[in-house]
Amino acid sequence: MTTETLTRPPVAPDTGGRPRPSKWIWTWLYAGAFAVAALLLVVVGYLGAGIAGGHVDWMELLTESAWSPTNSVFGGLAMIYGTAVVCALALVIAVPVSWGAAVALSEYLPPRLARPLRMCVELLAAVPSIVYGLIGIMVLRPVISKIADVPGGDSLAAAGIVLAVMITPTIVAVSVDALTAVPDRVREAAYSLGLTRREVVRSAVLPPARSGMRAAVLLGLARALGEAIAVFLVVGRADGRLPTSFGEFLDSLSHPGQTLTTKLAGPEPVLAGTSGPYFAAICGLGLVLLALVAAATVWGTRGRDRGAASERPLKFRGTARLRQQRDRLVMTLRLGALLLPSLLLVGMLALLVTRGSSAFDPSFWFTSATGAAGGGVRDQIVGTVLLIATTGILALPLGFGAGILIGIHASERTARVLQTVTVILGGAPTILLGLAGFVILSTTMGWGRSWLAGAIVLVPVVVPVIALTTSARVRSIPAELTESAMSLGLTRAQYVRSVVVPYTWPATITGLLLGLARAAGETAPLLFTATVFFGAPMVPSGIVESPVQALPTHIFTLSQDSGDPQAVTQAWGSAMVLVLITAVLLSAAVALRNRFEGERWTT
Amino acid sequence: MFNKKFRSAYLVTSVLTVLSLAGCADSDAGSNGALQVSGSTTVAPVAADAAQALKADGLDITVATQGGSAGGISQLAAGQINIAMSSKPLAKEDKAANPDTDFLSTQIGADAVGVIVTKKVADAGVKNLTADQVRDLFEGKIKNWSELGGPDLEVFVYDKEPGRGTREVLDKYIYGDEKAPPPPKSGNFAIVGGNLETRNKLESTPGAVAPLSTSFIEGRDKLAAVTLDGIEASPENIASGKYPMSRPLYLLTDGKPKGSAKKFIDYVLTDKGQKLMTKHGYLTLKEIGK
Repeated sequence: MTTETLTRPPVAPDTGGRPRPSKWIWTWLYAGAFAVAALLLVVVGYLGAGIAGGHVDWMELLTESAWSPTNSVFGGLAMIYGTAVVCALALVIAVPVSWGAAVALSEYLPPRLARPLRMCVELLAAVPSIVYGLIGIMVLRPVISKIADVPGGDSLAAAGIVLAVMITPTIVAVSVDALTAVPDRVREAAYSLGLTRREVVRSAVLPPARSGMRAAVLLGLARALGEAIAVFLVVGRADGRLPTSFGEFLDSLSHPGQTLTTKLAGPEPVLAGTSGPYFAAICGLGLVLLALVAAATVWGTRGRDRGAASERPLKFRGTARLRQQRDRLVMTLRLGALLLPSLLLVGMLALLVTRGSSAFDPSFWFTSATGAAGGGVRDQIVGTVLLIATTGILALPLGFGAGILIGIHASERTARVLQTVTVILGGAPTILLGLAGFVILSTTMGWGRSWLAGAIVLVPVVVPVIALTTSARVRSIPAELTESAMSLGLTRAQYVRSVVVPYTWPATITGLLLGLARAAGETAPLLFTATVFFGAPMVPSGIVESPVQALPTHIFTLSQDSGDPQAVTQAWGSAMVLVLITAVLLSAAVALRNRFEGERWTT
Repeated sequence: MFNKKFRSAYLVTSVLTVLSLAGCADSDAGSNGALQVSGSTTVAPVAADAAQALKADGLDITVATQGGSAGGISQLAAGQINIAMSSKPLAKEDKAANPDTDFLSTQIGADAVGVIVTKKVADAGVKNLTADQVRDLFEGKIKNWSELGGPDLEVFVYDKEPGRGTREVLDKYIYGDEKAPPPPKSGNFAIVGGNLETRNKLESTPGAVAPLSTSFIEGRDKLAAVTLDGIEASPENIASGKYPMSRPLYLLTDGKPKGSAKKFIDYVLTDKGQKLMTKHGYLTLKEIGK
């Protein structure tokens, strides 16, 4: 037997395809990161400028319950109380159900069943809030009115329940991620000790997953705090009521109230002008809201990064009795908790399909509206598509650049600061973005209602999603790839261009689609900046004073005027169309993700 | 993968978009865009119908109702719209807040705001209210309809949100020139926006009361308007000014209307346009003797 040495004939150096210096890479990356910071600064800055433009009595704003601009009394306590009650209620309902469902999904169900269910939950998390609002106004109000025996049914409780339904998918999705991140050997070790399933979950799986599940709750809370439109439709919008005793507190739940976001979504920002004490008070409310949301988001994402931090000393719990029975009871409870969101999904779909059946008639898609609520919604569809397409084109380079910079930046600290800024921007209540757009683009720059203003205010919704998915993907680049690129003598810029960008772009596109799915359902930012209800041409012919019509705002207007059966039909039909559009975007994102990598990059 | 073709396609798309945006901005920087009408939901149906009729003549008109009458006026002053719809006369405060705007109001008709209650309450005996009773109702001092000779049913007040013309008419009726107090701290109090929303909430709430244009309850058998101080909201009483909560309806412009704005206002003032007032239950200029 002879051994042969493998030799490779020498090859002349390739003269054609050397990467060029690619200096523009840095310009692009920093432009992206700068844009993210600038967008956040603009939102905070306009609130700050508004406050500086008129004296704000912070003590009054935070402790006075009456709000009456005609008498120059600006007290925000009733709204803060409303926000607190609504969010607390949402959490009380959503958290046990979501945690139970998440545990059932990851620990009890066979993977064959769990996978599609997980996907459903993620889809549910992206249903536009206006659709939840519509369901709330049509289904929930009458129920509350009957149960609590109050007229109308507009109440803090209704708002809390709508929010609970909205945030459940978010909490489940993020909690499941935390649970599946627990390595299987932990479970195996626990089972081999002879523990029941309940004991395994409790003593082996939950402790390492706990911080992630807590983060899920905070992210859900941030969403609940920032939601304006769904709450607006069912909360009743009456300020100035504060309970003084526990009985009154219970009573106040079934009666109308006001939250920070609904105050801002009402007509008052339009009435307040752009300076003076009234405007300053409105900006003050906005700042309070932004601070609350930012605190929840930052805290939430911090907790998740830290992983399983606190090791608690083990306690001896004594010998448990009735282990089998307890195990079975807990299993029933958890599967029951899973059943609830599933029923919800089925119920919502059934409701949408039956009530919105007009959406399956092609002519509904391709004819324009006649009168207030007749005909189809072609113009609204075109308007929505135009808005999200423009938003996508504007947001893609910015988010891509910012994401790569966060992912590869050498300094740990800068990356963390950038990441935090991005997360806060992503969690910023969209109503604030809309108001910033109204004040800056529509009023100060004189654009009036303009589709471009609408697209621009949607950019901050999409950019963080792109940036975060991209940066997560950049971090997962195998070290060998980086090392071989460096050993070939590539500069950092060339490395970004030839290694990072090709490796990351599927994630970026997924992020873009996810972000656009969210943007497509946004109502609040468009109300003041971009849309009218009637008479806008299908395709705008300019920028200044060129409004469009869009599906979410169309549904919003129709659902407020819900007395007319024709308007109701059209609202449900439009909701169905909107859900279909977001579903297409999401399915594309999910398909892309599954094709390139089996892992979740979202939230 | 992220190849050259993809990249150049992306570059070309974005460049094209930017160029077309720039092109649009150039060609349409003038006032060739659609005529923008916004404001009161009371006037909106008339304006929408007129806009529909004028579409055939090639006029592009958009109608929006964000913020009600006061919203329309402030948007007109800010130069964001061409015509403001208003269901209240221009107040001194509006002029003082916008000294640079040369408001010109054109009256197009009149309307009556009613205090609307549910049929059940009206049938049980609440047919007439005095100004004091209306004030006590809206301040939350009267909590049950039995205090007014009605059924044993809780009162539920729907007030219009700030800036709505309807609300200012009501405030003027019960408070005169004084400032309205802050909203009552009662559990049975909620705020509504547009007229259709108000009607919908009234119909779905037993024991509800709200200010609403009487034209919006015509043909609704669940709702009724009460007489105020014994005066019914009949056309004669509105024309003579006897009915206390009648109000003129206006289209407002900044300076004399020109071009398409003038065409629009002129159309509303023609016989055809005035018929729209009747169609939506308002009084024409002729009926009120103007």
